[in-house]
Amino acid sequence: MSATAHAAEIDDTEALLHRCAGGDRTALRQLYDRWGNRLHGIALRITRQAALAADATQDAFVQIWRQAHRFDPDRGGPDAWLIGIVRYRALDIVRRQSREVPGYEPEKIEDASPDALARLVSTAEGAALRRCLGELEDDRRRLVVMAFVDGLSHSELAARMSVPLGTVKSWIRRSLISLRECLAS
Amino acid sequence: MSDQPDRDLLAAEYVLGSLEGEERRDAEQLLAADPEFARSVAAWQQRLTPLAAHVAPVVPPADLWGRIENRITPAAPTVSILAFRRQVRFWQATTVGALAIAASLAAFMVLRQPEPPRVAMLSPLAGGAPVLLATAERGGGLVVQPTAPITVPTDKDLELWALPQGETRPRSLGVLPASGRTLVAQLAPNTQLLVSLEPKGGSPTGQPTGPVLYGGWLTTVELPRG
Repeated sequence: MSATAHAAEIDDTEALLHRCAGGDRTALRQLYDRWGNRLHGIALRITRQAALAADATQDAFVQIWRQAHRFDPDRGGPDAWLIGIVRYRALDIVRRQSREVPGYEPEKIEDASPDALARLVSTAEGAALRRCLGELEDDRRRLVVMAFVDGLSHSELAARMSVPLGTVKSWIRRSLISLRECLAS
Repeated sequence: MSDQPDRDLLAAEYVLGSLEGEERRDAEQLLAADPEFARSVAAWQQRLTPLAAHVAPVVPPADLWGRIENRITPAAPTVSILAFRRQVRFWQATTVGALAIAASLAAFMVLRQPEPPRVAMLSPLAGGAPVLLATAERGGGLVVQPTAPITVPTDKDLELWALPQGETRPRSLGVLPASGRTLVAQLAPNTQLLVSLEPKGGSPTGQPTGPVLYGGWLTTVELPRG
């Protein structure tokens, strides 16, 4: 997507959120048409089960409808807001599953592809994040990407990387500190 | 941000999604209570969201929009109001306890004001004893008090609505804490009060969006004479 098309999409999404806040259900339908596939893809990536992903996407759109009036463009873009909502709903569902369903094992995920960062260039923000992730050591970059994209918890990451839980926590914290400094520069 | 590095890092971990258990609950509570923390979360969402570009879109199940639409469409008020009128007649005829509360209130009110007071007992539409007592005061105040414990989910609020007889669209009187409150409202004599379950802060649409839980008619209490 070009930078211009991206900016136009952001403007349209903001306008649709504004109409949702005013009670216009056709605006939510347009958001669903525009964002449904992307948000559902994110929900499926985190929950790894079709039924759980459908629940997460459904909950996300209901929450988008009810909280559209709280979207504040001064705090961030509508894409980050929408994606945040579906990620938290999906994370709620998988954390609850692993806590409440005896013997629940998340589906296996494929290894993060080596070019996981290659698509981070469609926007200026993506390019900056890619550059800053590139400054992290390979293991730590993988941790950050798997946590965000696959929704893995600290303990799941520790099991997957075969390192102690405390090590995972400290690697993640140090990686986030590095990212914050790098992105601010 | 710089003076609260730990909180900002917690916000980063929350957005990253790797928190679990108590740490995750702590972050959720902070998010709801602390605007500074909420700003940190929004800033980290903005920083990390480009990673989501990596995820392939997937078409949702065909019935998913219908399921969403069902949940955002307000319940047709007429159905619940008809059911509710039967409910009111039922408890008016049978609930001695409710009438006793109204009568004792009337005895109290008669000392304070010459006009007959108007009260509404709000009962669950699904059936059961009244849970809220609304009393209209002469100056336009409406005192709403619980008569039974009410549990409201932490991410929800109760909202009070007035629906004058013959009208179809209720008017919001405001969000109602479970502990009750005093509102300022001018209400027509034959007005129905309804309470619906809404997102935190009240209905975003100006009309009930959640289920209507309780209802009752505002009625004039006949004062004991002599």
